[in-house]
Amino acid sequence: MAKRSTVIAITVAAAVVIVGAVGAGVAVLGSRDTGGAAGAKGDTTVTVRVWDEQVASAYEQSFQAFEDKNPDIDVKLTVVPWADYWTKLRTDVAGKSAADIFWVNNSYFADYADNGDLLDIDKTLGSDAKSAWAPSVVKQFTRNGSLWGVPQLSDAGIAVYYNKALLKDAGIDPASLENLTWSPDASADTFVPVLQKLTKDAAGHTADDADFDPASVTQYGYNAGNDLQAIYINYIGSNGGTYQDGDRFTFANPKTVEAFQYLVDLMNTYHVAPSAADTNQNGDFSRDQFIQGKMALFQSGLYNLKNVADGADFDWGVASIPAGPEGRVSVTNGIVAAGNAATEHPEATKKVLEWMGSAEGNEFVGASGAAVPAVTDAQPVYRSYWENQGVDTSKFFDVLKNGTIPAPQGANFGAAFGAYGPILEDVFAGRVPVAEGLQKAQDAANAALDG
Amino acid sequence: MAVSDGIRQRAATVQRPGLRRARRRNAIAGYAFLAPSLFGVACFLVLPVLVVIWLSFQSWDLISPARWVGLDNYRSVLTDGVFANSLLVTLVFVVIVIPVQTVLGLFAATLLTRGLPGSGVLRTLYVLPWICAPLALGVVWKWIFAPTGGALNAIIGHRVEWLSEPQLALPAVCAVVIWTNVGYVTLFFMAGLLNIPAYLLEAGRLDGAGPAALFWHVKLPLLRPTMFFVLVTSVISTFQIFDQVYALTGGGPQRRTDVVAARIYYEAFESFSFGRAAVMAVILLVILVAITLAQQLYFQRRITYEMD
Repeated sequence: MAKRSTVIAITVAAAVVIVGAVGAGVAVLGSRDTGGAAGAKGDTTVTVRVWDEQVASAYEQSFQAFEDKNPDIDVKLTVVPWADYWTKLRTDVAGKSAADIFWVNNSYFADYADNGDLLDIDKTLGSDAKSAWAPSVVKQFTRNGSLWGVPQLSDAGIAVYYNKALLKDAGIDPASLENLTWSPDASADTFVPVLQKLTKDAAGHTADDADFDPASVTQYGYNAGNDLQAIYINYIGSNGGTYQDGDRFTFANPKTVEAFQYLVDLMNTYHVAPSAADTNQNGDFSRDQFIQGKMALFQSGLYNLKNVADGADFDWGVASIPAGPEGRVSVTNGIVAAGNAATEHPEATKKVLEWMGSAEGNEFVGASGAAVPAVTDAQPVYRSYWENQGVDTSKFFDVLKNGTIPAPQGANFGAAFGAYGPILEDVFAGRVPVAEGLQKAQDAANAALDG
Repeated sequence: MAVSDGIRQRAATVQRPGLRRARRRNAIAGYAFLAPSLFGVACFLVLPVLVVIWLSFQSWDLISPARWVGLDNYRSVLTDGVFANSLLVTLVFVVIVIPVQTVLGLFAATLLTRGLPGSGVLRTLYVLPWICAPLALGVVWKWIFAPTGGALNAIIGHRVEWLSEPQLALPAVCAVVIWTNVGYVTLFFMAGLLNIPAYLLEAGRLDGAGPAALFWHVKLPLLRPTMFFVLVTSVISTFQIFDQVYALTGGGPQRRTDVVAARIYYEAFESFSFGRAAVMAVILLVILVAITLAQQLYFQRRITYEMD
């Protein structure tokens, strides 16, 4: 009796562990999408997976046009939210159930390219095809001499959305934003005083007032914080620092440390930005504050233009990012549609990729204003859409003329991010001195790369 | 009796090979009946356990071929401090959650079995959190705890960073888990309390036992089977807590809420280090089996299932 109940006890414990530990992942991932829902007889179905709803609706129109021209091919589009995208993609590629075409970004494409999971675009569409696409995106997704995806979106550069009314209240002329300079050297810095004027507590004291209460901020000046693309990589670049050297991480670079120190001071010393407790784990906090009229300056990219335009019910404009010691250096980033090397329909997949890389197919993305098309000839549509809306997008493009800092890249990025992410959270929360934290982050990230 | 004696005698005279064949036939029939559940156990339990053990000796990122690395994963998991931290966090977590939720559950059950007005409604309310999806509850509590615009800070009128202050994060997550589980624990204790025969309580009262004595010397000992069940299941489930941590803190700040199950998830599905994740799962398995055996041995001698 005792023996049997022991066996049962072990069995129960084992069952719970296995179902819990291994199953948890599966449960979180949810169900895989099916690729076999073919329409009429003889039709080939090509599946496409993306993470952005806005672009997905433009794609629906684009694929409709494609299907009209290619009645024998049925394109099925699936949207997987960003939060689960990379986990789900990894398990689906491993399980041979990934879509025929899927979006990849700079951080994660290398693993798949190195492992032979992606179609070599130079071989699939010919090496001349790339001349039609934005050179920065082509360059970003070329690894070991080959291009690993058809460029779809180009995020251009980073700029600052501003709330006109809040600027006016503080007596700041929007045109003066173009002259702002940030610097680790306080005597050369003109940015902090402006941000202090734009930050208010519940009692109406601005951040440069001795009575200012940082615990009851009702209006933030700026969105300094743990945001790679919009914030810190641009500060690193504008200070002449580096983020990576090849695939290795270089957070401990003295110029990089200065840039982080400046941002951490904006948050924890001057209190002109939301606290790390608000923003570390909520990437949309600052955007929501800006849209609700509670933040004066919101630094971001064109990827938030549609959200701001649709969400903000106040007058707003776009200014350049503050210049650093090395001028204005912004990151630019692209997204490509990668072909699944294990596709069962290589011919049909090639046709869809060809369409997505054509000006005609890619134009839909720009026509709705959702994102900047990465096919060069499709780009004017995007600008004219926003011009008709009364929005000048030139600041996002002009900043790239001053030089750019490369977006994160390399194999095994997931492991590196898992290792350094929590340490950067500590740095921004002020729980660890900046230089010490960044050294730790660099060591952890590179150790994870060596895995 | 005479008939069955006759049968037994006749059975004894049957040739041995025949008996063996009959036994074998019986055994085959038995296993045939067991086959469906054996299949389930083999496929969904034994096989995954073996795969996880095999994986723990591999370096695997899910897409490139798995590579045999011997004990490297064990070495890195046991020496880099991340897993040790997770074990410690989980232990602290269990040590806080289990006693509190058991005492609260027992207390609530004692009150609810008194048949006071409104008990029915309360009983339902108590169990509600346990019925809800933990991930959804996590999202709701995340809003309640939010430093800016959160409900809790609005009520106390003071800014507290519940989930990002290293000292507060684990207690906050514990509170949510206890709140979720108390109803479930209460339910079992109620059933246990209602099963105690009235005459035993009456006998106690006749012997002059007050409510406290009655609770300690009559009710509690008779609740041991319930206590055993509740403790075994809740210790196991608390050791594997995942959803709430995933939704509330993601394991931070400073890995203060990085419980083992969450760590396994992040190793596997964020860092794509399946070998390390498998090592952690194997260690967790060993720990849980050991705890269950210990609980088994402890309660075996002390449980009385018979009450009439």
